Amino acid sequence: MNRLRVLAMCTLCALCAALPAQAQFNINRLLDSARNVGKATQEIGEKEEIEIGQDMASRLLGAAPLMANDGVQRYVNSVGRWLASQTERPDLPWRFGVLEAPQLNAFATPGGHIFITRGLLERMKSEAELAGVLAHEISHVLKKHHLKAIQKGAQMELAGAAVSMLARQDRNAVSREKLLTAGTELFSRGLDKSDELEADRLGVVIAARGGYDAYGLPSVLQTLQAMNPEDSGVALMFKTHPAPAERLDALERMQPTLDAYAGQPQLAERFAATARARR
Amino acid sequence: MRIAALVLLFPALAFAEPATLIRTTELKQSPASDAATVATLAETTKVDALERKGGWTRVRAEGGAEGWVRMLALRYAGAGEAKQGDAGISQILNVARTGTSGAQVTTGVRGLDAEQLANAKPNAAELKKMERYAASRDGAEGFAAKGKLSAQQVDYPREDGR
Repeated sequence: MNRLRVLAMCTLCALCAALPAQAQFNINRLLDSARNVGKATQEIGEKEEIEIGQDMASRLLGAAPLMANDGVQRYVNSVGRWLASQTERPDLPWRFGVLEAPQLNAFATPGGHIFITRGLLERMKSEAELAGVLAHEISHVLKKHHLKAIQKGAQMELAGAAVSMLARQDRNAVSREKLLTAGTELFSRGLDKSDELEADRLGVVIAARGGYDAYGLPSVLQTLQAMNPEDSGVALMFKTHPAPAERLDALERMQPTLDAYAGQPQLAERFAATARARR
Repeated sequence: MRIAALVLLFPALAFAEPATLIRTTELKQSPASDAATVATLAETTKVDALERKGGWTRVRAEGGAEGWVRMLALRYAGAGEAKQGDAGISQILNVARTGTSGAQVTTGVRGLDAEQLANAKPNAAELKKMERYAASRDGAEGFAAKGKLSAQQVDYPREDGR
C-alpha cells in the first residue's frame, strides 16, 4: 500500500510540473509532494522491500544467469543462510546465488537476495573468505542501504521525471518500473562509501558470529588489492566500491574483534572440495 | 577448459606475492603477538607474502629473513603497478586474442559490466530456479555443525548499534 501511495505522489507531482501556467503555485506543491514521497518511502514495509528486491534480483539474473552447478549453489546457500541466522533479521527469505560471470563482484538486493560472481568465488581460498563477502552483502540488507538509496534517488529525480511520466498511460506500471530502474542503476553506480565501510565492519562481526575466522573479508580485500585495477574483471567493482586499500585501512579499527576471532575455522578444505567438484 | 583453469588457480594462490609494509612492523617467529621478534622491518620494506594464518601473514623479507607480520600491515603490488595484460580467469575463460593485433574479443560468455546491467531484462525463470537452492534455517545449522562452526555472541561496533 505504501508503494501505491508513493506512486500516487509521483503522479501528483507529474501533474503539477506539467502545468506551466500555474508554475509559481506548483513549485510549492511539488516541494510539498516531494517531502511526502520521502516520508512514504521511509515507511516501505517488509513485503514491499522483498518485492522490490525480487524485481532487482530478476534484472540481475537477466544480465548473468546462475552458474550451472547445483552443488555450488546449495553450498553458497548453506553458508549464507547460516550467517543470516546470526543477525537481527533471521527470518527474511534469504536466497544466495552464484552468477555465471567472469568478473569479480557481489550484489545484494533488498529483502535478502544475495549474489556473488563465479569470478570472485574462484579467487577465494576458504569458506571463511566466502563467509566474509556474504556477511558484507547481508549487512547491506540489514541496514537497508539500497532501499534508502533508491528512496533518496526517487526524491531527487522527482521533478525531472514528472513530465515524462505524465506522458505514459499506465502510471502505476511506469512508476514501479522507475523504482526498479533506480534500484538496478545502483548496481553500476554503487552505494555511498560510508555504506560500504559500514557493511565491511558489520560483515566482520557477522562472520565471527557464524564461527568463522574473522579475517576472511580482509583477506579477500587483500586479494582484490593485489589485482590491477585496470583489469576488466574488477573494473565495475572498483568503480562502485572504495579502493580495497582504503577498506583495509578502515578495518584496522576492527582489529580487536578480528583478533579475538582469528582462530576460528577457515574451512579451506571444505571450500576447495566444493569448488573442485564443479563439473 | 574450466577444470584446467581451476586446478591452475587454486595452487597459484599460495605463490609468493610481492607486498610492501605500510608501517614499521615486528617480524615474529610465529603468528602471535607474544612470539619472539626476529627483526624489526621498516615502513616500505618489500617482502614476499607466502601464507596467511588468522591475522598474520608469513613473509620473506629483502635479505632473506622469514617470519610473520600483521596481515593488515601489508599492501600488495597490484594497485598502480600494472601487471601484464588482463589478469586472471576473465582472460582464461572469456577473452580470446585475435591475430597479431592483441585486440581482445569477448567470446560469447555473458558477464556483468555496467552496460549489460543497464540493458538487462528481468529473468523470472532464473529467479524461480534460485528458489530451488534455498537452504532452510535448520539445514544451515546442520551444515555449520558439520564444519565445526559454533555461533558466537559478538557485538556490532558501537557507532552501528543504534
